[in-house]
Amino acid sequence: MSNQGQQDDKQGQNDQQQQYNTNNLAYGMQNMSLGGNAPAFNPAAPNFVPNMNAQTFNPGQYGQYGQQQYGQYGQNQYGQYGQYSNNNGGKQGYNGYNNQQYNNQYGNQYGQRYGNQYGQQYGNQYGQQYGDQNNGNKSHLMSLDDYKKQKQQQTGTAKPKKKKTLKLNLSSSTIKIGNSKKVEKKTVKPEAPKVEKPKEAKPEKASPKAVNISKSTSSAPKSSAENSTSITDNSNVQKSISSKPTDDSSLKEAADIARDQEDHVDPEVVKDMFGGKPHVSIIFMGHVDAGKSTMGGNLLSLTGAVDKRIVEKYEKEAKDAGRQGWYLSWIMDTDKEERSDGKTIETGKAYFETDTRRYTILDAPGHRLYVSEMIGSASQADVGILVISARKGEYEAGFERGGQSREHAMLAKTQGVNRLVVVINKMDDPTVNWSEKRYKECTKKLSVFLKNIGYSGKNVFFMPVSGYTGDGLKARIPEKICPWYRGPSLLEYLDAMPLTARKINDPFMLPIASKLKDMGTIVEGKIESGHVRKNQEILLMPNKIDVEVLTIFNETEEEADAAFCGEQVRMKLKGVNEDDINAGYVLTSKEHPVHTVTKFVAQVALVELKSILSAGFSCVMHVHTAVEEVTFTKLLHKLEKGTNRKSKRAPAFAKKGMKIIAVLETENPICVETYKNYPELGRFTLRDQGETIAIGKIVKLL
Amino acid sequence: MISLIMPPRTQISITQKMLTDEYGTASNIKSRVNRLSVLSAITSTQQKLKLYSTVPKNGLVIYCGEVLTSEGKEKKLTISFEPFKPINTSLYLCDNKFHTEPLSELLESDDKFGFIIMDGNGALFGTVSGNTREVLHKFTVDLPKKHGRGGQSAVRFARLRMEKRHNYIRKVAEVAVQNFITNDKVNVAGLILAGSADFKNELNRSDLFDPRLQDKVIKIVDVSYGGENGFNQAIELSAETLSNVKFIQEKKLINSFFDEISQDTGKFCYGIDDTLKALELGACDVIIVWEGLTTVRYTLKNADGEEVIKNINPDTPKDEFLKDSDGSEMEIVSEKPFLEWLAESYKDYGTTLEFVTDRSSEGAQFVKGFGGIGAMLRYKVNFEQLISDDEYYSDSDSDEYGF
Repeated sequence: MSNQGQQDDKQGQNDQQQQYNTNNLAYGMQNMSLGGNAPAFNPAAPNFVPNMNAQTFNPGQYGQYGQQQYGQYGQNQYGQYGQYSNNNGGKQGYNGYNNQQYNNQYGNQYGQRYGNQYGQQYGNQYGQQYGDQNNGNKSHLMSLDDYKKQKQQQTGTAKPKKKKTLKLNLSSSTIKIGNSKKVEKKTVKPEAPKVEKPKEAKPEKASPKAVNISKSTSSAPKSSAENSTSITDNSNVQKSISSKPTDDSSLKEAADIARDQEDHVDPEVVKDMFGGKPHVSIIFMGHVDAGKSTMGGNLLSLTGAVDKRIVEKYEKEAKDAGRQGWYLSWIMDTDKEERSDGKTIETGKAYFETDTRRYTILDAPGHRLYVSEMIGSASQADVGILVISARKGEYEAGFERGGQSREHAMLAKTQGVNRLVVVINKMDDPTVNWSEKRYKECTKKLSVFLKNIGYSGKNVFFMPVSGYTGDGLKARIPEKICPWYRGPSLLEYLDAMPLTARKINDPFMLPIASKLKDMGTIVEGKIESGHVRKNQEILLMPNKIDVEVLTIFNETEEEADAAFCGEQVRMKLKGVNEDDINAGYVLTSKEHPVHTVTKFVAQVALVELKSILSAGFSCVMHVHTAVEEVTFTKLLHKLEKGTNRKSKRAPAFAKKGMKIIAVLETENPICVETYKNYPELGRFTLRDQGETIAIGKIVKLL
Repeated sequence: MISLIMPPRTQISITQKMLTDEYGTASNIKSRVNRLSVLSAITSTQQKLKLYSTVPKNGLVIYCGEVLTSEGKEKKLTISFEPFKPINTSLYLCDNKFHTEPLSELLESDDKFGFIIMDGNGALFGTVSGNTREVLHKFTVDLPKKHGRGGQSAVRFARLRMEKRHNYIRKVAEVAVQNFITNDKVNVAGLILAGSADFKNELNRSDLFDPRLQDKVIKIVDVSYGGENGFNQAIELSAETLSNVKFIQEKKLINSFFDEISQDTGKFCYGIDDTLKALELGACDVIIVWEGLTTVRYTLKNADGEEVIKNINPDTPKDEFLKDSDGSEMEIVSEKPFLEWLAESYKDYGTTLEFVTDRSSEGAQFVKGFGGIGAMLRYKVNFEQLISDDEYYSDSDSDEYGF
């Protein structure tokens, strides 16, 4: 497959595809309410059933696509979509179908379009069921729990699913009903009749748009009343669900649709802004002086995110400051101290775009003193780039005990960075000179170590680069200098890399990474789940302050109307003083606030400990972006090696290498969740005396 | 009641003369009871003083007066002793109580060391002296973080940032003066600056930092966190400089105990029962005990007239431990704090006794995790308790945590 081809396709589709990009669920939502519930769309759902053929596909609906894209799709798309399909659960599921059932064109078309669309909104629902059906697609990350939650939010859109009478469906829809009764009764039920109205209005308003976009010529959107009756009819016909609750839930769903629609912003805006490119946060980490900042700076300059002139200016300034050759890192290191010492102190943040994706670079400091800084930023990253210097001596220093190459890799893993690209940097150095032997030497030991901490198989990728000359960053390394490596360049790899599903419809959650004051209170962070839109009322935990989102700035410092899971945003808040916010606080949705506790039970694995640990031990805990002092108040069990069985007796102490279950207590309330429900907010790292001593996950909140 | 404290190299004759003068003055006291008790106390003191030809090298402390015993009887008490280290107070007081404050000062006053922990989030001011570690003051600060590049305001942001940082250093310098300078004098023996990033060095170089304090800076250490944890780490890192401070010695002691455990040498024990067993075996090299241990040692007599000794946590209800093995009640012969018993009798077992506090993080672990008593042994002792350690629940899944 050629990446070039993929990019071309992508560009070609941009016009249409923008709406279906990873972050765009708004469009999907609307579409659902029109088509999704209306007959027009319903056929689409059965379409997924294997024994359907291309005819029922209703080409009319996709007429537009047919003209513009089928041609493009031509030959090589199959492979591309194979790649594509990994993007999220939904797509994967569909791709499975594609491969089995459809011919190239339709299959891919379908996979692309619905994959994207469904992938976003149903991420898990469809992904899960189809994935399961197709067995083998297991990339969807959400558990049934999350799935339930998501359903609560979008019960309406979940509707068509029922018609598919999958087993999973049944069970989950009953769960859903239970949930909607429990949670939504009080809010939705009383006003159910009222809610009908906006719903009626909405589809009509939205329909021209939908026509615009998808030119859906087949049975046009009907009024909502019809929608809901048709739903009910259908489900009754489907006989798998008792009619009573269906009626009930369809009302609620209707209400939910209405609410969701109100929740969402005009997709056109999003489309204009992002050009349909999914967003990825990458973090550069590695030992001090491995070349993280230089590589980051070079990436920015290669992708044109930084002006040539500015780079030249830096080059000159750096030369004047006697730091020739450091100018690339000056792009990332903006502080005076950082430039004069040549080492990053605070995590630098930058943004660039490629043809297919939008990236936020997090440039972590490599010095061991600032590891704490690195942990906070690692929690915001999706993909880790472990920069290893191949230069003689430097590789060894970073990798030996206490070296940051090791520590960072482990920390990234515990902070939820599941994908790692290991770049062997400084291959151009005279001591290395693109030697394959040296490269092999570096990667061999590393891969063993990385495997031990949980990076293996397709989650790790090794490549040689030179951050300074730029070889292997954007363009592939010229064959002349490196005949033995013919793999993709860093950007090629990143662009083609499958993404994990975003939890766009989960309750909104944003751990605050930093705050500042600039004509109002501004907070920064990565949205861990859900989405937020302008003027939405949200809750600041743990101090339970109601705030309103005044403005959302996206990565490019432009204002946006909404932001979705996975994006790095900056938001101006109303209703809270800057002093009342701290890094580590969490902005959450009002309906499903995050838990705040001072005491919890956690499973802790001790990785590095000078002597022993017993009750009363205190250290520093890093959880998402929060840094808090924590004390072991009680050790409950130790876990047997290998089997993970719990000891009956509480251990008096714990040693390095042991796994224990303990009660931990913090002085100030922190926002955490159990690992099971929200891995992002449920895993933590314990550090003491400048060393990472343990990693853990929260099993129970007390 | 008379409290008399004489620092080293005081001349006894001068004190004697002073007492004689006092005797004269006291004979004018109107109240008869009062006069008599004061006069007799002075006489007793003089008698006691006569036992000394010179003041011992650490000084001399005499307490004399009548006290009420637990039975409500009056008892005359004359105590004289030499403090364990030179006492620098000169005191003669006649009051309704004994004045022991100078003695407790003696216990804690080691050299006092000041700490300034500053990083990008805030600053902490603390002291370490004797076996106490104290946080004097702490505050947080919001410094602008490193900014994204570009934009016309980049320069402005950089300037604002510099200004904020400058103000922060100014504030730390000022608070440092408040905390470490009293009566125009530096109240600490040395000052340790700690922090991540460059702030501590900037502070040290800054003109805003009081030169009197600057002179006292004995060490600058790098710590990875601010706040309490940074304080702890700073103490740890400056341990060499502070090596004769009790707090550090205490940490070292407990750490060596922990090392025994982590290396699984078997030459350790903890918990009151094991430690007493080891003590009776004569295996204890060093006994470490928490100074706040409240355990009471009871000597009980059962129905057959045999004496039983029990060490009981004061929280335990009495009727519980008074039961003999056959259920009959036992009689309390005597009770005294376990610590006191230990302090009196540890020498009989050929061991050394070390008291620790729970103020250091190691101390806190020792108290919470190991019951506040433990010992390092001369040789391996096999305690039954340690054997049955490896029992596990058979099923790893069916538990409440859902692993």
